[in-house]
This record gives sequence, structure tokens and C-alpha cells, in this order.
Amino acid sequence: MSNFIAGYIPLFDLYCLHVGLALSQFIVLRAGVFSLATAAFAGIGAYTAGIMAVNFGMHPALGVLCGTLTGMGVAIVLSIPLARLRGVYQAIATVAFIQICLSLNIYSEGLTGGAMGLNNIPKTVGTGTLFVFAALASYLIWAIEKGRLGRAFNTIRQDEAVAASLGISIRRHQMLAFAISGALAGLFGGLEAYHSYAIDPRQFGFHLLITVLSYVIFGGRNSVIGPLVGVAFLIILPELARPLAENRMVIYGIMLILVINYMPKGVADTAIDAIKARRLKARGGADI
Amino acid sequence: MLAQQLLNGLVVSGVYALFSLGFTLVFGIQRILNLAHGAVFMTGAMVAYYTVDGGGPLWLAFILAVIVSGCLSVLVEITCFRRLRKTGDEEFGGVVSSIGAGLVITTIAQQVSNTQILRFPFETFPVVIFRFWDLRVSMLQLFMAGAALLMVMILGYLFYKTAFGRRVRAVTDNEHAATLMGINPNRVYSQTYFIAGALAGAAGVLVGLAFNSISFVMGEPYMMFGFAIIILGGLGSIPGALLASVIFGMVQTLTIAYLPSGLTDTIIFASLFLILLFRPHGLLGQEDAGNLGSRR
Amino acid sequence: MTTLKLTNLSKRFGGVVASEDVNIKVPTGEIIGLIGPNGAGKTTIVNMITGMLPVSGGTIHVGDIDITHAAAHEICRAGLARTFQNIRLLNDASVLDNVLIGLHRHEKSSTLSALLGLPTSGRETRALKVRAMALLAAFDLTKFAEYPAGGLSYGHQRKVEMARAVATDPDFILLDEPIAGMNDVESDALAEIFRDFARNGKGVLLIEHNVRFVAKLCSYVYVLDGGKLISEGTPENVLKDPAVITAYLGAEYA
Repeated sequence: MSNFIAGYIPLFDLYCLHVGLALSQFIVLRAGVFSLATAAFAGIGAYTAGIMAVNFGMHPALGVLCGTLTGMGVAIVLSIPLARLRGVYQAIATVAFIQICLSLNIYSEGLTGGAMGLNNIPKTVGTGTLFVFAALASYLIWAIEKGRLGRAFNTIRQDEAVAASLGISIRRHQMLAFAISGALAGLFGGLEAYHSYAIDPRQFGFHLLITVLSYVIFGGRNSVIGPLVGVAFLIILPELARPLAENRMVIYGIMLILVINYMPKGVADTAIDAIKARRLKARGGADI
Repeated sequence: MLAQQLLNGLVVSGVYALFSLGFTLVFGIQRILNLAHGAVFMTGAMVAYYTVDGGGPLWLAFILAVIVSGCLSVLVEITCFRRLRKTGDEEFGGVVSSIGAGLVITTIAQQVSNTQILRFPFETFPVVIFRFWDLRVSMLQLFMAGAALLMVMILGYLFYKTAFGRRVRAVTDNEHAATLMGINPNRVYSQTYFIAGALAGAAGVLVGLAFNSISFVMGEPYMMFGFAIIILGGLGSIPGALLASVIFGMVQTLTIAYLPSGLTDTIIFASLFLILLFRPHGLLGQEDAGNLGSRR
Repeated sequence: MTTLKLTNLSKRFGGVVASEDVNIKVPTGEIIGLIGPNGAGKTTIVNMITGMLPVSGGTIHVGDIDITHAAAHEICRAGLARTFQNIRLLNDASVLDNVLIGLHRHEKSSTLSALLGLPTSGRETRALKVRAMALLAAFDLTKFAEYPAGGLSYGHQRKVEMARAVATDPDFILLDEPIAGMNDVESDALAEIFRDFARNGKGVLLIEHNVRFVAKLCSYVYVLDGGKLISEGTPENVLKDPAVITAYLGAEYA
């Protein structure tokens, strides 16, 4: 019995790690920022934490903290130029940023180990820690959603002119969203570093970008449940059948096309909306 | 030697122009950033390779590549973007959808090619070098520059001197009004996507011949360069894309020749970033491109 | 009693003069009208007041507060709310949520407590929901509270927008063509709401095309044409002014 469960632990670890990243992607999109930079922030957090451990023998808790703060710091700095851009321009800028990070990483072999990656990171983070952080991150995003920040983000995303007319500072809120996103990505990047002995630059490039984006597209961008469902589904799916695992990328690709075209709100949110609508109807329609 | 590098740069610019024109065309007409464009480019190269590999002559390979790429591009449009026009979510949805399409196409290509790097058999294109004034130019380079120039001219003619071009410009300006004047926007879009794909496919064949290294991932760096070029030129601007291609091709060739390798990429993307920062509408794009636009 | 004051307000786009030396005063408790033919520059004025367009010359004051160069989101804080020509509600959000955002200005809980979901944040949210429901009741919208705002009829959507504007507790409300597309019955209902605004001590600047509506409701009217004020005064006087008649109908009718 314990073997059965043990076999699924790596999957659960992956789930916890990727929930953090998905939430990082979720919160920026929520605030109307078309940023795809989560992968880059995760890489920055991972490498910071890894370098702290390998080169300076830092305690893992501190290392993870450094990773988080670096991720957050870089995100805040990035948000300043990005504040002037909207839509695809922001997207392109963040993709360029991922590429810059990748290139700089490979170029700075002395610090990061270049294309060979960073090795011999002590594995100090286990399933329990990952679960705790994933739960905390989910709570954080849920609390934001329920409160005034979530309402402000939502308004900015849907109509900036209205948000401004109601006294909501777009710049400040988007910078905040970026900061949270960077912190979360940096945090979980750091956790990843201490969980897997070694990290390499390719881990934090376009594959991760697409994966994280897929979670949020598939699960939903509106409520916290979205990323949680999205990660679960997309991680479990390849495990269900061998052919699915081998064709993982094709499946992600097809899924992206289908979901954004036919169920743009994502699985979880479409379901939530349907439940809400049915509840309203059951209450007896109001004459609108 | 500088003049030689400038010459090389010019040839490279031609290929970049072919790639970027299609990219910027689609954005100009539908505000969709088609991230599957690189995959279409790669498909052109592969189709050409397999044609030659199967014994076909190069001219046939070229034509097939162009046609197949064009059709593939139309297929992507129909399956991935058409529905989005109705919901009005082209900006975000288009990016996501095209990422998916690119993923599917490259993975299929990976299976077909067995993850190998494909190379044209030797002398697929005759290896002839011309020398004049201390410069060396290969026949292939002449062919590349010539093909690029020819296609750009045909495109220019199509767009500015034919009824088709007028229809495209009408739909770009105002789809609804164009419909009211009897233009079928779906057909115009499909035709535009075909052209965009065909150009990309042609670029793919040329690149495949020039570097003789075709793989399912060959489109990725070009997508990145494509971003930089069309942003520099101004999203949606054809003359802008042309101008930017020349600048980009030159700058890239020169930096590779004279600067330590590995720095080129960083410079390119840092420049892209700076452009977005200070002049998001690029050289010839519309003024209010990157800023607080009117939200739906 | 404070005043919304536009003093010598001007806007130039390169060589084109969109507004020139516009002087308008809106005291609290009054409904002031701003009319003018299409292209007169009313939208430019609105955008300058709401911080969407930089001002070329002149000043805008809300009481003592100079909002001439204030950023768009600071206008609300100064006590000025606005409605939009094309009713910009958050269509997918519930009516209650739409009004709730209007109360954003009054939210005092710290960012940290909002981030962590601390009890103060939760308490404040609940209190705000009570206020929002009260507002809905005042506008007779209670039964729509949970419905997505986009599904309501045009008239009801207008009321939700009014409720949202009132939620910010402004001293002044800028109404940008609020009765566009309404018949007389519907517009009369809104007119009552606007009179209530004035009775509750708010200053209302009403920008409208419907001259009859403006004449019925406003105590003072300004007329804009070609970016300049061509007339001002009580509705009766303004409507008789030959300059105004020329602007709307042509010189032969003056």
C-alpha cells in the first residue's frame, strides 16, 4: 500500500511546485497584465537559491527567501518599463525578457555553470515543505481575490478607464501584481532548486512558459480554483496512458487551441459560471 | 572584411524580410500575433528537403514548399483564429492559439524527421562562387537575394496595384464596412494567410539551402528575430518590416563577425526590449500602438 | 458649498485648437448643462476634466483642489465622479460587484491585511457589501444584485452606473450623455435621479445633446461650438440666443 502511494509522491511534488507557478501566472493575468515572464522569475529564484547554497553554503530557508526576494525585486523593476505597454507588446517584452535571462545565464558560466547548469544543490526540500508552501500560496491568492485588491485587479483588467474613474491607480496595482507574481515564481523556483539537486537554464525557458500558460488557460483565469484544477489535470493526464505521455506537447498544443476557442474561460470557471447561473434561475428569474 | 560582411548581411536581410513580411501582415490585418509562423517556415524547409530526398528537382521542391506552407498557414487560420474573431479576443486568444498550433506542427515535424538534423544532398544547389572587387558571392546568395527581392516586389504589386490589395486594405481598415461593400472578409483573410505562409515557406527553403541544417526546431530563433524585426519596423507596417529586416540583417551579421559569440542574442533581445520601452510603435508603425488603448 | 471651476481651459493638438478659453462653474446643489453641436469639443472637455487628456492651458479646480494635471485616478479622490456615454459596466460581474468597486475609494484596510486576508480586511468587505446593498435599494435594484450586469436592460444598466458613481461619494458628478437612446418616460425617470443628486448637495454637470431635456433640468446652461463658449445663461435665454440658433440650425434661422 505504501509503495502505491510512494509511487505518486513525485507527481504530488510536481503538482505543488507547479501550482505555485500557475498562481504566479494567474495573478498577473488577473490584473490585466499580459506577462508571460513567470518562467524567467522562477529561473531567477532557482538560480539565486542554488548559488547561495552551492557557493555560500547558505541555509536553505534563507536561500529560498533570497530566491523569493530576488524574483520579486526583478519583477518590480521589470514592471516599470512594462507599465507603458499593453496587450501583445507586454507579451513580447516579457518573452524577450525570458530570452535575455536565458542568454545571460548561459553566458555567465562562471556564476551559473552556463549550459551545463548548476549541480550539487543539497536536496533539503521534501514533499511536506512543498505542500505547505503550495497551500500558503493558494490561500494568499484566494485572500487577494476576495478582498479589495482582487476587486481592483478585476476592474483594471476589464476596463482601465472605469478603474481610473473610480480612483484605482492602475500603475500601482499592476506593479503590485507583478511583485506578487515575481515573489511566487521566485519562491517556487527556489524550492525547485532545493528539491532536485541540479537545475539548468533550459528548464526555465519556453517549455516552462507554455506549460504554465497552459495550466491557467485550461483551468481558468477567473477564480483560484482555475490554476489548481489546471495543474492537476495537465499533470495527471500524461500519467493516464503511455501514448499521452509521449505526445505530451501535441496534446498541450491541441488543448490550448480547443480551450481558448471553445471554452475560453477554462474548465473550472465555465463550470463555476454554469452553477451560478443555474442557482439564479432556480431562485426564480427577476424581470430584467 | 567590412564590405564582405555588409554583402552577407544584405543577403540575410532578404530572408528575414520574407519571414517577417508574413508575420507583420497577419498582425496588421487581424491584430493577431501568429506564433505558429516559425513552424510554417520550418515546414517549408522540410517539404523541400523531402522532395529533393525523394528524387525531385530543386525547382519542384521550392514550389511545393511554398504551396504547402501557404496551405498550412490557411489551415492554422481556419482552425485556430477564425472563431476568435467572433468573440473579439484575438489579442490574447490569438497568442495562445498560435502557441498551440506551433506546438502541434513542430511535434509532428519532430516525429516525421525522427528528431534528426536533415541535410540536403551535396550540390543540390550548384556551388558556384563569383569574385569581383575583392568580394566573393556564391550563386546561392545571389539566388536568395534575387528570390527575396522578386517576392517582395510581387507582394508590393499585389498590395498596392491590384483589386485584391485594395480588398485587403479595406478589410484591414474596417472589416464591417468592407463587408457592407460586398467584400468577403473570410476569403480575404485566407488569401492573406496563404501569402504570409508562402513567404515564410520560401524563406525556410532558402535558409535550409544556405545553412544546410534543417530540423524541427529551426523556426524558433527566427520567431525571436521576427519579433525584433516587426517591432522595430512597427507592428503591421509592411515598409517598416522591410526596412527593419535590412537593419536587423546587417546588424546581426556585423555583430556576429566582430563581437564575441553568445553576446549577439543578448544584444538583440536587449535592443528589442529598449525599443519597446521607448518607441513601441517602431520606426513606421502607428503612434498609439503600445499604450493605453481603448478597451472593449 | 464648493464649486467645480474650469478657468480658461484650452486644448491644442499641434495646430488644431480643440478647446479655447472655456470658463465653466458648477456649484454644488445645482444641475448645470453643457450643450453644443457635434464636434463642438464637449468630449475634449470631459476628457480633460477626468484626467484622460493633458491640458494645454487654463486650470480645473474642485473646490480648492487643483486637478488640472492630476492623474486619472486622482480625480475621484478629489470628489468628482463620472458616468460614461456608452455605459461601461463590468458585464460579467454581478450588479452588486459593480457597485462594490465604486466603494473602492473608501477602503481603508492596509495592503498587507488585504494580501493576507486578515480579519480587518474581511470585516471591511462585509461592511462595504452592506453599503452597496443599501445603494442598490436606493436605486430600486435590489432584486438584480446577483445577476451579471451585462444581462440587464439598458435602462437598468444606466441605473447601476449611477449607483456606482454615487458609491464614490462625490461632491460632483459629470454625466456624459446619460439619456442617449432613451424615450421620454425613461429619461424622465433619470431626471428625477439627477434632481435627487442636486437635492443631496452634489453638483451635476450634464453634457447632453437633447436640448429639451437640458432645458427642463438645468438651472444654467453653457453652449460650446468649435471649442469655444458661444453662449451661457438660463435655459430660456440661451435658447433664444441667435448665436446658439445659428450654431445648431444655421444663420438663416437666427
